Amino acid sequence: MASTIISSSPVTNSDRSKRRKKKKAAAAQQSKRAEGSSSHARWRTESQQQIYSSKLIQALSQVQLNPSSPSAPRRGRAVREAADRALAVSARGRSRWSRAILTSRIKLKFRKQQRRHQIKQQQRIVSADGGISRARKPRVSVLRLRGKSLPAVQRKVRLLGRLIPGCQKEPLPVILEEATDYIAALEMQVRAMTALAELLSGSNQAAGSSS
Amino acid sequence: MESEFFLNAGMNPVPPLPLHFNPTSSNSPPMPAWRSLPHSSSAMDMSNANYEQPPPDCFFGNPNWDRSTDHHTGGLQYESALSSMVSSPTASNSNIPTESFMIRELIGKLGNIGGHGSNNPGEISPHLAAASSYGGSASNSCYSTPLSSPPKLSLPRMDQFVKTMGLNSSVAEFSADPGFAERAARFSCFGSRSFNGRTVQMSGGGGGGGGLNAPPAMNGSLGGGKLPRVSSSPSLKALGSQKGNKGSPPPRQDGGELGNSSASPEESSLSEQRIPNAAGDGSAKAAAAAANEPNPRKRKAAPKGKAKESAAARPNASTAKEVETNENPTAKRSKGNGNNESKSPAKAVEEDAEAAGNSCGGEEKHSNESKPPEPMKDYIHVRARRGQATDSHSLAERVRREKISERMKLLQDLVPGCNKVTGKALMLDEIINYVQSLQRQVEFLSMKLSSVNTTRLDFSIDPLSSKDMYQRNNSGMAHPMFPVDSSASAILGHHHQHQNHHGNGSNSSSSSISAAAQNLTLHCPLDPFALPHDQFQSFCDDDLQSIVQMGFSGNGPDTDYNSGSSPNHQPSSSHMKVEI
Repeated sequence: MASTIISSSPVTNSDRSKRRKKKKAAAAQQSKRAEGSSSHARWRTESQQQIYSSKLIQALSQVQLNPSSPSAPRRGRAVREAADRALAVSARGRSRWSRAILTSRIKLKFRKQQRRHQIKQQQRIVSADGGISRARKPRVSVLRLRGKSLPAVQRKVRLLGRLIPGCQKEPLPVILEEATDYIAALEMQVRAMTALAELLSGSNQAAGSSS
Repeated sequence: MESEFFLNAGMNPVPPLPLHFNPTSSNSPPMPAWRSLPHSSSAMDMSNANYEQPPPDCFFGNPNWDRSTDHHTGGLQYESALSSMVSSPTASNSNIPTESFMIRELIGKLGNIGGHGSNNPGEISPHLAAASSYGGSASNSCYSTPLSSPPKLSLPRMDQFVKTMGLNSSVAEFSADPGFAERAARFSCFGSRSFNGRTVQMSGGGGGGGGLNAPPAMNGSLGGGKLPRVSSSPSLKALGSQKGNKGSPPPRQDGGELGNSSASPEESSLSEQRIPNAAGDGSAKAAAAAANEPNPRKRKAAPKGKAKESAAARPNASTAKEVETNENPTAKRSKGNGNNESKSPAKAVEEDAEAAGNSCGGEEKHSNESKPPEPMKDYIHVRARRGQATDSHSLAERVRREKISERMKLLQDLVPGCNKVTGKALMLDEIINYVQSLQRQVEFLSMKLSSVNTTRLDFSIDPLSSKDMYQRNNSGMAHPMFPVDSSASAILGHHHQHQNHHGNGSNSSSSSISAAAQNLTLHCPLDPFALPHDQFQSFCDDDLQSIVQMGFSGNGPDTDYNSGSSPNHQPSSSHMKVEI
């Protein structure tokens, strides 16, 4: 049963944990019921939140907390990325930002490999450690845009485009559409995570008090 | 020579056209004596001016000529009409309105006479004779002839005739002459009123019958009382209708439509361009393009670049870009005095296609902003509102703006506090702030979760990872938990108990968490196993027990598990039952 569900999973996420999670098949059934509503209203449905919560939990349980990253920020980032990926999976690839989130991981891995190669190459050429910084693609911070273009609306559109993953160079109507969906999805994510955190912390307290 | 004949034979305006039209002389049906006229050029010696003796060529094979007496009378009438028509207008070549008026009259009469083929096969004039001779039979000659032939014949006839009348260009040339379009446009106001009635009559017939090639939309528009610009076009159409509506030949219609096109040479050339398109596509789009119907009353200055734009846009493949460019020509140009209220989606299509060149600033527009659904088109049709510019650029702009404003409205509902804000910049500010705040919240929560995870979830991971097969079972079981109601009790009952315990145990961790998660939304009590609490505790491992208890205790306020499964939770818990 598990194998069949694995094979039928349409998720292209490279994360093995996601593939092993067969919730996709089950979630598909439920999400179909919510399919009729508009995109951003979909995120408000309870069914969607359930789906997301379950996915989130699976993802969180998969996050390797203990061995890899002892530092809190990295752990937090890992959790956050897992949460974002779960959200993107719940979006079922219908929106640009969800696809961008899912593919970014692959790109990151690819870039890591590239970086390693480049580092090796550059270490041969240049003894300094500038290879790493050179290899990394410079990320223009959001704030730098303020000095660039004069028309305020254009500037803000670019800014918004950078905020939403995968919409960096899209025109305004596309960005607005993506923003609608993304805001709705983010709201749901926040709701789910607060509830989960509350629950776990509550249980923490209880367990802590009991033990 | 012909002109001489013409001048000499004042009463015989019949041009020596039969020279061109020379059927086989071998065809010699029993003809009256007059046929003995030698049909050499001298036969054109109309000095005899005997209209009873039309050039014999025309009447070969035409049994109608036996009824010469009838012909005479009819011919007399016709001759008189023609002569009056000929003599009345001045012979000035520059007098374009009159010449076209003449042509119009002639064509009209030709049409009429052709219509009454049985009575007057038009033997008097070579035009009609030629036309009728094609038919061959008496009554149905005109109708049985293919539509193309009589007009073609008549056009050259008229051409010569017109030439003899001292006109500049032939009718045949008229249709293709951009200058004619201009003149016709100038003239159109002159005779448009008189034509309206006729147009409606004839084009209705012509439109009805001749709609084989053209889409019904065009016919509908043709017959819809649209005022054609050019005088000759309705008469041409009339000809077509009268001569039997076998399906107006595209060139004919296009000729008419060309004449119909706006006064600008650009547009006429443009419509010529469109004709190959029409021939090639045969689609409503192309045909609609050819069916330009500018409002004669609103006739106006050449549309300039818009016509070219539309022409450029039209041949383009259907791409997204084309949507934009085609949206411009699809601006509805209302036909002035509301005589175009008969709108149909198909008609809108054609008008949209043609409207590119017809836009004139300041023209009245339809107030309805509806976008008629066009399944066959691939671009959106936009109607220009009343009082708004119909420039192609402005139309595209307007569509774009509407899209954006539509989406901004949606966003306004989503983002709290945006109701008071108006304007794109401020709205965008609000949206950006909101998105940033949401992302920050997510980050904060993830940090919090990570800190919580370290203490709690780690426990669940180890037992899960250690038992890989159970883990698969876990995932298999845990996933369908929410959407699919799987009764844990049933599962628990079926499975082997030991396995059950393990499954339960491993499930319990994830299930408790997931159940807890579900609890977030449903506020359902966590009652996955319907087991008494003490029994359950015996199942759990030590490390799991804490988690289970945590899960249970987390839900403590909601339900009372110590008392066992409460009956009222049973139905709801069915959703939460863990599947093993």
